[in-house]
Amino acid sequence: MKRTGWAVVGCGILFSAIGLALVFTSDHESTPAFTAAANLVVAWSFIGCGVVALSRASDTHFGFLMSAVGLTWFLAALSESNNGLVYSIGNVLWAIPLAFFIHALLSFPRGYLETKLVYVTVATAYVILAVGPVLFQLFGENTGCSDCPANELIVVDSPNAVDFVGLIFILLGLFVCAATIWVLVRRWRAASAPLRRVLAPVFATSAIAIGVFLLAAFVSAASQTVANVLFWLLLFAVGSVPIAFLMGLLRTRLARASVANLVLELGAARDPESTLSALRGALGDPSLGLAYWLPDRSRWVDVSGWELDLEAESQGRRTTLVEHDGAVVAAFIHDSSLDAELAGAVSAAASLSLAREQSIQVVRQSESRYRALLNAIPDLMFRMSRDGTYLDFKGDRADLAVPPEELIGSNARDILPAEVAERLLRGIGQALDTGDVATGDYELTLDGVQRTFEARIVRDGEEAVLIVRDISERKQQEGELRSSRVRLVRAGDEARRRLERNLHDGAQQRLVSLSLALRLAHARLRDAPEEAERLLAGASEELAQALEELRELARGIHPAVLSERGLSAALEALAGRAPVPVGVTVPPDRLPPAVEAAAYYVISEALANVAKYAEASAVEISVTRQNGRAVIEVADDGVGGADPTRGSGLSGLVDRVEALDGVLKVESEPGAGTRIRAEFPCE
Amino acid sequence: MNTLTRVLIVDDHPSFRATARALLQAEGFEVVGEAENGVSALQQAKELHPDVVLLDVQLPDFDGFEVATRLTSQNGAQPVVVLTSSRDGSDFGPLVAQSGARGFIAKGELSGAALKAVLG
Repeated sequence: MKRTGWAVVGCGILFSAIGLALVFTSDHESTPAFTAAANLVVAWSFIGCGVVALSRASDTHFGFLMSAVGLTWFLAALSESNNGLVYSIGNVLWAIPLAFFIHALLSFPRGYLETKLVYVTVATAYVILAVGPVLFQLFGENTGCSDCPANELIVVDSPNAVDFVGLIFILLGLFVCAATIWVLVRRWRAASAPLRRVLAPVFATSAIAIGVFLLAAFVSAASQTVANVLFWLLLFAVGSVPIAFLMGLLRTRLARASVANLVLELGAARDPESTLSALRGALGDPSLGLAYWLPDRSRWVDVSGWELDLEAESQGRRTTLVEHDGAVVAAFIHDSSLDAELAGAVSAAASLSLAREQSIQVVRQSESRYRALLNAIPDLMFRMSRDGTYLDFKGDRADLAVPPEELIGSNARDILPAEVAERLLRGIGQALDTGDVATGDYELTLDGVQRTFEARIVRDGEEAVLIVRDISERKQQEGELRSSRVRLVRAGDEARRRLERNLHDGAQQRLVSLSLALRLAHARLRDAPEEAERLLAGASEELAQALEELRELARGIHPAVLSERGLSAALEALAGRAPVPVGVTVPPDRLPPAVEAAAYYVISEALANVAKYAEASAVEISVTRQNGRAVIEVADDGVGGADPTRGSGLSGLVDRVEALDGVLKVESEPGAGTRIRAEFPCE
Repeated sequence: MNTLTRVLIVDDHPSFRATARALLQAEGFEVVGEAENGVSALQQAKELHPDVVLLDVQLPDFDGFEVATRLTSQNGAQPVVVLTSSRDGSDFGPLVAQSGARGFIAKGELSGAALKAVLG
């Protein structure tokens, strides 16, 4: 017991002795034995309970209140004194313990006053019970007690003033009673199950005490004998009220005995739900919630693994954190009426189990994330043993060579082509032996379609995990890209060969002849000037033709007019050299140089094809911008039937267009002319 | 005095043949004939028995080296073959020597003196 408790007990003994002395020496006490017994029972009930509450750190405030009720109870004994002044003081102070009692009742069980109404009620009670008797003593003589000493504190004997003061204080007393009942009813209705278990004894004993008091008051007029019996009952009823207070407070202490059982239950708990159930039982709170802390994600989750907003969950409730090895592992959210010490004891007892379950939750969350990640990966995954047996798989069954029910337990040698199976087993062996990732491509024919797969093999303990991706489309695109590159290189080589041949056969030959002619003319200049003149004339003609051929060649490499004056002028020039009438529609603004060049060669090739094959009478060329794309169309009214897959001209154009992320389409139904349409991105 | 004076000019470019004829005739050579392809060259060499065949390396039907090989390996009188081209002789590497030709003259450098120098 603490020093404060000893002090209360000491005061209690001293006050008891004084009180007993006053009662038993009183000239105006007709039932000293009953009065003494009643005072002792009631006062020590409160003192005893107060001392017990004072010994609990969480109930110190409440302990003071109950001790105050018990100790001040003896103030009423002063009115037993035969001394007029002491007697009068006793009449002034007798109601003080009732004020402390109302304070204790309205602060139960939390130990503090919760709302402004409760504050006002308690303050009013203190005022009424402290000031009221003073006023009565100041304005009125004692009546109804002929043996009592005279009122030493009277100032004016005024029955009217007494009546007036009485009326005021009856009204204030009604307010206090009504407010107290209102607060207690609301508290009961709002209380959770555990709180009601704490409130119930206090409310019940208080109600019984008040009921017996009222009954005794009514009965006393009819039968003093029955009234005396009722007053004895009232004695025990009032004495039981502090015991009920104490029971409520001790209820949480008694519950600590269940902590030991909790440890055993938590040890046997196999899942978070069992742990939650054990905690609810130990704390007597069926609404208790449990949250686990995930340190890697800085989040709380409930027992089912769902994310939880602890702050929101804790509204109007109390949260007790559970720590293990200095780190927060969990929290339980419980009724705020639960004893903090008990919650702390349960927290300590459950810390090991909750730390274990927190680890499980962390693993579950991690597993859940990885599973979500795996599900997001479209690849096939197989778990296989070293000997090639399929143990498990994940993925689309449509991508499997055999149905999944046949796959599991089968061996790769029985399912895959021998060459593929052997490569796979070599890869598994390599991955298991070295721990390195083994990779490789293989081809399978599924549903009559040849598909290419890329396999990555990683070690997982004694087993291998295969991650298989269908790369058929990528392979096809790579093949097309390679073919396109080869065609582009070949087209370049061919263009250079053609250029060299043209230079050699054309301009170069003419320049050689020119050189020889000039040398011959030089030799003949003196002996045969006429022949020299003829040779020079021929040389001049040869030179003019060589120049023309060089111009033609240069135009074929890249038309200067295109880069200098744009697509419109270049197409006009092209149209001017075409063997059939050509209509040209081109936007006035310039396109990007690469697009202009590609458009020029598409149209140039198309016109060359028209000249060679189309037998057309007219050609229409249009270049437009549509939704951020340049659209080039060349349409003729010839015989049609052009095949873009034959001949290098059109396929070369396809490569050139696709190199710019463009698209080339050829429509050429026999007899319906040919329409070539190329589209390029052109922001 | 060089006795190899009768020349057959083989080239598919008429202007070159005309200029080469005038140039060689001015230098004392006798141009006995002109051919514009390999087949015609072999035919005229057989009929005209030239001392020298001035043979272009690039002909429309046959490779000039192949024609040279045939001319220098045929039975009977074999003409001396001198290859010509508008390209530099070094472009052809060992092909000139392997063809049995006496030598090579770049077309731009053709003259009676150059031909005599090759014929020795």
